[in-house]
Amino acid sequence: MSGVLTIWKKEMRVYAVNPTAYAFLAVFMFLAGLFFYLGLTLTGEASMRVLASNLAIAELFVLPMLTMRHFAEERRQGTLEMLLTSPVSPMALVLGKWLASLTLCLLMFLGTLILPLILAYYGDPDWGVVFTTYLGLLGVAAAFCAAGLFSSSLVDDQLAAGLIGIVMLMPFWLVGRAEALVGDEWAAKIQAFGVLSHLESFNRGVIDSADVYYFLAFAGCFLFLTYRSLESRRWR
Amino acid sequence: MISVVDLHKAWGPRAAVSGVSFEVRKGEVVGFLGPNGAGKTTTMRILTGFIPATSGEVKVAGFDVFDDPYAVRARVGYLPETPPLYPELTVGDYLLFCAELRGVERSRRASRTGEVMERVGLRGWEKRLLGSLSKGYRQRVGLAQAIVHDPPVLILDEPTSGLDPAQVVGIRDLIKELAGSHTVILSTHILSEVEAVCPRAVVINRGRLVAEGDIATIRGMARGGAYTYVEVQGIDGPRLGRLPGVALVEPVGQAGGWAAFRVRAPADPREMLADRAARGEFRIRALESRLPSLEEAFIDIVGREGLA
Ligand SMILES: Nc1ncnc2c1ncn2[C@@H]1O[C@H](COP(=O)(O)OP(=O)(O)O)[C@@H](O)[C@H]1O
Ligand SMILES: [Mg+2]
Repeated sequence: MSGVLTIWKKEMRVYAVNPTAYAFLAVFMFLAGLFFYLGLTLTGEASMRVLASNLAIAELFVLPMLTMRHFAEERRQGTLEMLLTSPVSPMALVLGKWLASLTLCLLMFLGTLILPLILAYYGDPDWGVVFTTYLGLLGVAAAFCAAGLFSSSLVDDQLAAGLIGIVMLMPFWLVGRAEALVGDEWAAKIQAFGVLSHLESFNRGVIDSADVYYFLAFAGCFLFLTYRSLESRRWR
Repeated sequence: MISVVDLHKAWGPRAAVSGVSFEVRKGEVVGFLGPNGAGKTTTMRILTGFIPATSGEVKVAGFDVFDDPYAVRARVGYLPETPPLYPELTVGDYLLFCAELRGVERSRRASRTGEVMERVGLRGWEKRLLGSLSKGYRQRVGLAQAIVHDPPVLILDEPTSGLDPAQVVGIRDLIKELAGSHTVILSTHILSEVEAVCPRAVVINRGRLVAEGDIATIRGMARGGAYTYVEVQGIDGPRLGRLPGVALVEPVGQAGGWAAFRVRAPADPREMLADRAARGEFRIRALESRLPSLEEAFIDIVGREGLA
């Protein structure tokens, strides 16, 4: 599994010199600031809760764009041929890329830490809640980056990969609105598949193992699908 | 070092490789020759384990490509048809990554990278971005990438395509240098390339093996095979054809009163021709046994199969 580290380092180096990565980092921070400002002025409530659910939605749009490059571009450049004929296994390749995109997410989160600091200026935020909120957002990032990698493994065009990723993730956000569409009875069951309902505990400062499993299973499924997609596309 | 037995590969209903078998011995440089679309890249991708075969047995460095892919990968250096480069990385960073990817120990990576850059003529280029390199330099980096872990087997897909003549010579010299200590198979659709670097060649067309052997053997496989080339005066084609033992005479050309012919005969006719010329029946100034050029042989062999 030393291959994971090799791939991770390479991805971080490529991100470091890639202007689009910085652009999406900036977009994310801008959205975070915007949501924070709107939350503050519209609801008058200075809290991490509003910010967190909005940031999760920002992640839905930004992360597939951040990961769209990975396999689509490797395939286009012909570098995938080198990677898949090297002693590093395809699973290590997938994991290395996933961990690199998660590392970038951590950097993005670091950039938004200014917001809770502003809260601290006005009030007295519960730092435990701030921590679990970010943990929840990291769970979302783990899940969405895996899904983004999967869509990137499907097509050769990176922009198409990004859009497919966003479309693929939409349902996981929209089912949170199920209540309005179907009866209460079903809504609860459907919402369990949504991402937002699994952020609630985190936003209240509680780490519920069911939520942790949800995000891990979400990421695990898509990482496995990515691996399968890489393998099966060799046949075509 | 490389053995391929009855290899088949189909893309959907279309066969790209049908029943190809050949062998490459340790330390050999073998040319893998065929026109565009013959199935060279497909075969090489199967050799490296990038794509699976439909059927057949492929062994590289003693390991089965399907059963033992990682043992094979550790022993192979591969230059794909397009050099696999990351435009945003520098030459140095890229080669260090390749060395790491290929399992070169940390302590040896920097020195290996330096050595291969020296070897392919990239000295002083480590800070250049791959995206800014010309075709020739991209190819050199691709080659450096293939040899950075010093693999016993090298699989090179059209290593000189798109290079200018001086660069071609450079890359060929490098491949010749690697011969002996490395087993090399290189694909090409350029005949002179095979003649310049490979003592032996495997020729495929439309996914089928059409010839295999050393260059002279393949040249001998052209229609008619070996012939005798003569330049004579005082005798014409029909009379030459009536000489004892001569089967066929093909005029090649005429210049300054001398006529050139290709003389085909079941037994070597040179002695007979020399004797008669000495007796004054005609004058002769060139008399030599020749094999068709590889070019002629290739067009002939491939043409017989029906050129795609
Ligand atoms: N991924 C693929 N899908 C379908 N057909 C392919 C694919 N790759 C190659 N082929 C076909 O296989 C045949 C052999 O191609 P290739 O091995 O690239 O030839 P060469 O390298 O000798 O020029 C061609 O007819 C080509 O169109
Ligand atoms: Mg080819």
